[in-house]
Amino acid sequence: MADKKVGGAGGVTRRALLKGAGAAGAAAALAGSVEALAQETDGGGAGGAVAGPGPVRMTLSVNGKARKIVAPPRRTLLDVLRSDLDLTGAKKACDRGTCGACTIWLDGKPVYACMVLAIEAIGHEITTIEGLGTPDALHPVQAAFGKHDALQCGFCTPGFVMTTAWAVEKHGKRLDRQLVMAETSGNLCRCGTYSHVIAAALDAAGAAADAAPDEREGR
Amino acid sequence: MKAFRYVRVSGGAGDVGKLVRKGATLKAGGCDLLDRMKERIAEPADVVAFGEVQNEYLRAIAATPDGLRIGALVTLAEIAASKKVAAHSAALAEAARRAASPQVRHRATLGGNLCQHTRCGYYRIATFPCWRRGADVCPVLVDGAVQDTAGVFDNGECASAHPASLPPVLGALGARVVVRARKEREERAFEALWRQPAKGVHEDVALAPGEVIVAVVLPPLPARTNVAYEAVRQRAAFDWALASCAARVTRDGGKVKAASIWLGSVAPTPRRAVAAEKALVGKAPGAAGFAAAADAAVAGASPLPGNTYKVELVKVVVRRALERAARRER
Repeated sequence: MADKKVGGAGGVTRRALLKGAGAAGAAAALAGSVEALAQETDGGGAGGAVAGPGPVRMTLSVNGKARKIVAPPRRTLLDVLRSDLDLTGAKKACDRGTCGACTIWLDGKPVYACMVLAIEAIGHEITTIEGLGTPDALHPVQAAFGKHDALQCGFCTPGFVMTTAWAVEKHGKRLDRQLVMAETSGNLCRCGTYSHVIAAALDAAGAAADAAPDEREGR
Repeated sequence: MKAFRYVRVSGGAGDVGKLVRKGATLKAGGCDLLDRMKERIAEPADVVAFGEVQNEYLRAIAATPDGLRIGALVTLAEIAASKKVAAHSAALAEAARRAASPQVRHRATLGGNLCQHTRCGYYRIATFPCWRRGADVCPVLVDGAVQDTAGVFDNGECASAHPASLPPVLGALGARVVVRARKEREERAFEALWRQPAKGVHEDVALAPGEVIVAVVLPPLPARTNVAYEAVRQRAAFDWALASCAARVTRDGGKVKAASIWLGSVAPTPRRAVAAEKALVGKAPGAAGFAAAADAAVAGASPLPGNTYKVELVKVVVRRALERAARRER
């Protein structure tokens, strides 16, 4: 890319920035004082870079690969993954950071992709279910989900696997039933396959199998 | 979500504040803001990337001579996992750990936890008229409204219940809030952070335009002082509290020498239960004193027809928090 970078934090190019600003003349006029202040780098201005509201060119690091996209600041990381990058493993269900179906890793930690803007994911490592394992080389948690039949309709499964894989990595053999329940509390399964998820998680972690699982126990 | 311009600053909170004063909206983790933007409760033309500011002060948990300082951009996950926080107050770590879900805690910040808007379902859905959004009457106060999560104090005009997990504990710990004002940092008492609801005003924090919360400082706790946090939720995990209480108890001999008791999810702002503190001080830290404090905590409550249960629930969380504070250290 020959474009000069703006702002340093990564990825937004001056050309894309100018294109975006030009396409949104009306908004720019309304909020001109913010733009003027942001771009005034000396004399007491805030010294910033303005992107959008139109499309912005950016590069995201997804599953270890640099992916170039063009998206406005309002576009969520989830929409970019699914629609721009054709990574449809993360599911769009509630779109309000509640159900967990869109769970991905940002710098190795599970987050809701629906509640992250694509533009703020620049410079961070994004891992989706497609980057966790492959059909030929499943991640141990993916294999355990199969072995323990930890899915029914499967819609929540990619998100559940991402959270569970993080929890298994975090706790290792110390993982127990209560910890699995706490760490996956941000993932909902409307088929109600929670007890099988717990079994899969404990198996993948090499933790002691549940002694006396009570499937009616409250979540 | 309405299109907006995303503004990154190369400086710190002062530069963010300048842009906010010009009308831009500050965004940290965005767990609250993006939700409101998607519902079109908030439609900012400009969003300032406070969450992308790389600044040690804003992101550190630091032991200082004044106490433990937690930066505004520290995440709830970091607070929950911090040994420094646990050493100062296990109750604060517990409140952070019990808030929301891991996915939220990895994004949600201390500053955002303080500044989030009410989770009242009527406020959050743009098609309902809402007094806080400029309507003449709070829809929660209308006959037949869903009132079970509404407030039971100060609910004459807005029946919202402040949802955040950390404020009751921060209040009980005597936290001071560090605000980046126009020229410099200023420390404010925790009580002074909150404003009573007003028609057309979305915010619960009393910040002047452009003021940015940059940290919270927890002063050292006196000797023989314990703090505990209790919350009751409809679901054990990933749910807002129906009622919560944080209690700090300092003993002297066989008596309670000082107490600080704060309630969450009961009023439009976090609420200090001054009457409960008075009822407890001077008494033995035991069942009788705790029951008296619990009764005092709900004096003056004004429950709605749909949430009379909450008055009893508040007494339960106060009693449990005091019992735990009497048992364990910090």
